[in-house]
Amino acid sequence: MTTSTTPLPARIKAIRQLSGDTSLFTLQLLKQSPTQQTTPARFQPGQFLQLSVAGVGEAPISYCGLPSVNGSIELCIRKAGRVTTALHSAVVGDGVAVRGPFGHGFPLEQYTGTNLLLVAGGLGMAPLRSLLLALLQRRSCFGALTLLYGAKAPDALLFRHELADLATRKDLSIRLAVDRAGACPPGIPSCSVALLPDLLEGLEIVPQRTAVPLCGPSAAYRSLIPPLLALGIPPERIHLSLERRMQCGTGVCGHCAVGTLLCCIDGPVFAYSALQAIEGAL
Amino acid sequence: MPSLLLPHADIKAWLDRLGTDGELHAPLRGRDGAVRFDVVQQGVIPDLQALRSLLPPKKYLLPPNDTVLRYTQADGYHLPLQATTRLILLGLHPCDLAAIAYLDRQFFGDQPDPIYAARRQRLTLIGSSCRPDAYCSCHLSPSPLPAACDLFLHQTATGFLLMPETPRGSAICQATADLLRDYEPKPPPSPRDHFGVAMPPPPQTELDPRLPDWQELANHCLGCGACSLACPTCSCFELLEFGGLDGRTAERLLRWDNCLFKGHAEVAGGHSFQKDRAQRFRYRYRHKYRGYGPLQGVPSCVGCGRCRVQCPAGLDLRPLAERLEKGAP
Repeated sequence: MTTSTTPLPARIKAIRQLSGDTSLFTLQLLKQSPTQQTTPARFQPGQFLQLSVAGVGEAPISYCGLPSVNGSIELCIRKAGRVTTALHSAVVGDGVAVRGPFGHGFPLEQYTGTNLLLVAGGLGMAPLRSLLLALLQRRSCFGALTLLYGAKAPDALLFRHELADLATRKDLSIRLAVDRAGACPPGIPSCSVALLPDLLEGLEIVPQRTAVPLCGPSAAYRSLIPPLLALGIPPERIHLSLERRMQCGTGVCGHCAVGTLLCCIDGPVFAYSALQAIEGAL
Repeated sequence: MPSLLLPHADIKAWLDRLGTDGELHAPLRGRDGAVRFDVVQQGVIPDLQALRSLLPPKKYLLPPNDTVLRYTQADGYHLPLQATTRLILLGLHPCDLAAIAYLDRQFFGDQPDPIYAARRQRLTLIGSSCRPDAYCSCHLSPSPLPAACDLFLHQTATGFLLMPETPRGSAICQATADLLRDYEPKPPPSPRDHFGVAMPPPPQTELDPRLPDWQELANHCLGCGACSLACPTCSCFELLEFGGLDGRTAERLLRWDNCLFKGHAEVAGGHSFQKDRAQRFRYRYRHKYRGYGPLQGVPSCVGCGRCRVQCPAGLDLRPLAERLEKGAP
């Protein structure tokens, strides 16, 4: 039995609804993996795991929380396909199974001493929350820290209570945007009615000392990257996470090639410079 | 050291002897005229002249439908038990051997696939020489893959020259020494000589989607996927899960997939990253002639010609590959 091919049993410890179709699932691993070095609970922000619902199948999900030693795993999951739909009808105490971690996450070691501009669109907040929490854990190692996050409507903003709390920190600047105002549930931190790229306006950025971890749908990348480049951010310092059909996670099933790179092992986080020339990467 | 010759007259006895060491599989011509790798019954002589079997030998390593995990409520997911019968594959031409070398590199990567490893371990590979036809492109292939096997049979007018390459191959020669004769004339060529001529590595520039060839190929393609089924290195698979009616068990199935199918790059919610057929052609092309992931720069086309023989629309990526890849420095 290996952690890369055989899912390990886990139990749903908590479910917290974050928006109409998205919830935060906290899982507890029931067994330590046979090879102690790798366990699905220890990962780099930006990596992903494969989540199995028995009898339904498996889906790649980005980590959303911090690595843990006690086997606890946080996953922010939208009801989108077969596996996630089954998961959304599960209750606390139900069993699932996980294998991972897979791929390359955000290059944290490169971020030491630099300013960081995190940009999340929609569900892209899930992996960026993992990164944000990791950065805040070692806050003094990094320069200025800014989070831009856009969602369709106020009630689609994920982790809004957490963000409201974080917004009070002096060492973190948060700007939120929604496409349309709509109904405003309580606890929403202040946000603009604007598109995500609009949040870049008026930001004070030192391009040579800034890295931009980016996560969102393809459309967000296509609209964000040109203004980021125009601001002078070098393409090798824009790091983005790609979505692909990653079935095996180990580079053998052949579904997730981006040019001649494989999303599941060379990514899912890539420097934009590696994707620039590749047709259909974004 | 002199080479060993297996005279034509003794081949039947030699095959019978081989069969005692494991289940012998070789190319057999069916009543429909198609050649398939299948179990060789005693007294049957396989068709070692046939150039290409309908399905390549990948079916022994990666069956078209394969249970890869079983689930029970009590024990969770676990690997299924593997059959351990030894299989002897006889009559693998150098292109098919190169294809197995490619699959080995793919599945024995950083994290060896346990099921593939178990299947591979039980195989003894016996290669045999061939005479390429118009569909073969092994001599043009830029593949750096070795045509490695345990034992290679070089066909001559009087019989087969036996060239062991591994201890397993030598053991077969020793066990059948009484049927073999010394062969003095000039040393036989190495099996590698039958496969591939070194070409410069493929250029690392991106493919130009504006090239009219892509759309032209896409316009003629029927999308049937026969080329990938017949390809000895096409190994895309999807994983499907079937829950048992008892609600407490499940089975995860690996099934061959196909990069020319529309659903291949589809993600949850229905978005596809390879919507156009021309895009899917380039996806296939990159894998065949440039390689991806850890095998970047290792083309996976071994020149067996199966895709060209099987394509109902008579499509061929090869001329395009020759044009695109030959400009390499």
